[in-house]
Amino acid sequence: MIRINEMFKKLYKISLVVLLAIFLLYVFNEIHDLASKSYLSEHYISKGVQETGAINLVTSVLYDYRSFDTLGEATVILTASAILAFLVPLRKVAMHGTKFLIIVHQTMIFIVPYLAVLGSYLILFGHLNPGGGFVGGVVLALIPIVMTITYCIEFSEYKFKPNIKTLLEDLGSICFIILGLFGIVTGSNFLASGQSNLGLGNPGELISGGLILCLNIIIGIKVGAGMAKIFNSLIKGE
Amino acid sequence: MEILYFIVIFLFCLGIYTIISQKNLIKIVIGFTIVESSLILLLILVGYKPGGTAPILDKVYQIVVDPISQALALTSIVIGGSVTAVMLMLVIKIQKRYGTLNIDKIRKLHG
Repeated sequence: MIRINEMFKKLYKISLVVLLAIFLLYVFNEIHDLASKSYLSEHYISKGVQETGAINLVTSVLYDYRSFDTLGEATVILTASAILAFLVPLRKVAMHGTKFLIIVHQTMIFIVPYLAVLGSYLILFGHLNPGGGFVGGVVLALIPIVMTITYCIEFSEYKFKPNIKTLLEDLGSICFIILGLFGIVTGSNFLASGQSNLGLGNPGELISGGLILCLNIIIGIKVGAGMAKIFNSLIKGE
Repeated sequence: MEILYFIVIFLFCLGIYTIISQKNLIKIVIGFTIVESSLILLLILVGYKPGGTAPILDKVYQIVVDPISQALALTSIVIGGSVTAVMLMLVIKIQKRYGTLNIDKIRKLHG
């Protein structure tokens, strides 16, 4: 009797999921020619480079047209790392370190400078190339994570102090809002860089695009500090 | 093009089935992650145009894919990572307090 009951339960779950699949198939059949009628993206593609000064259109959407979205994202990362640091006592260390051979240690010493250069490049050239603040910040956060895994958590926290990481993350949020107020001072809206009278420069050069370069650097530092904090909190929680 | 929509539907339903059928909390978190990645794939697919290039205009291109949906996909990736970290932390706390990850046993302990 119990086995028949279990089988019936399993059948019920599978039929629910199949019904959901049929519903989604019906919906996608209606919307699948959505891309041919998008006037907003046509405007961004034809006018975006002149209006924002960045030739990477994803960056120009993220940091100029929709900066409020980016502020919300930054707030989500700040909130997540704050919750994790709240759930875990900051000082206590419970990680059992793994002993690696000397080959792994020497390889890490070689890899870390390349990671730093790659992360800085992705952040600084975010408005010209694929990349940007979020990706570069995650690559920079790999350095403390790699140190934590290879050596131990005490060494990683001796090199990158938790107080300094918290300070960098808070400073990033505050600087983002201060740069947004800069748009009001120059005679436009909050977080405006293309519409304000800043001078955009030539599209395609490193110093161009108004506020986008500064916002990229701030977001990169903030995301890097936040990701390193999140990983160290998860490791300590065991 | 059409096959990719089927893949999105398959991944979404697989994630939902994982969430409602598994008993282990870690596997439920994995189901949430599968649903998230299917939605990211859908966002990229909606903005795709056949034969389009990436939206980096260093020259003049004829067909360029939609930059808005790619920016929204980046937003969704970042928020998904943060939410997954918080979920894993709560799973660690539950494991420390009750000593198990099975949701049936956790429910039996308290009402």
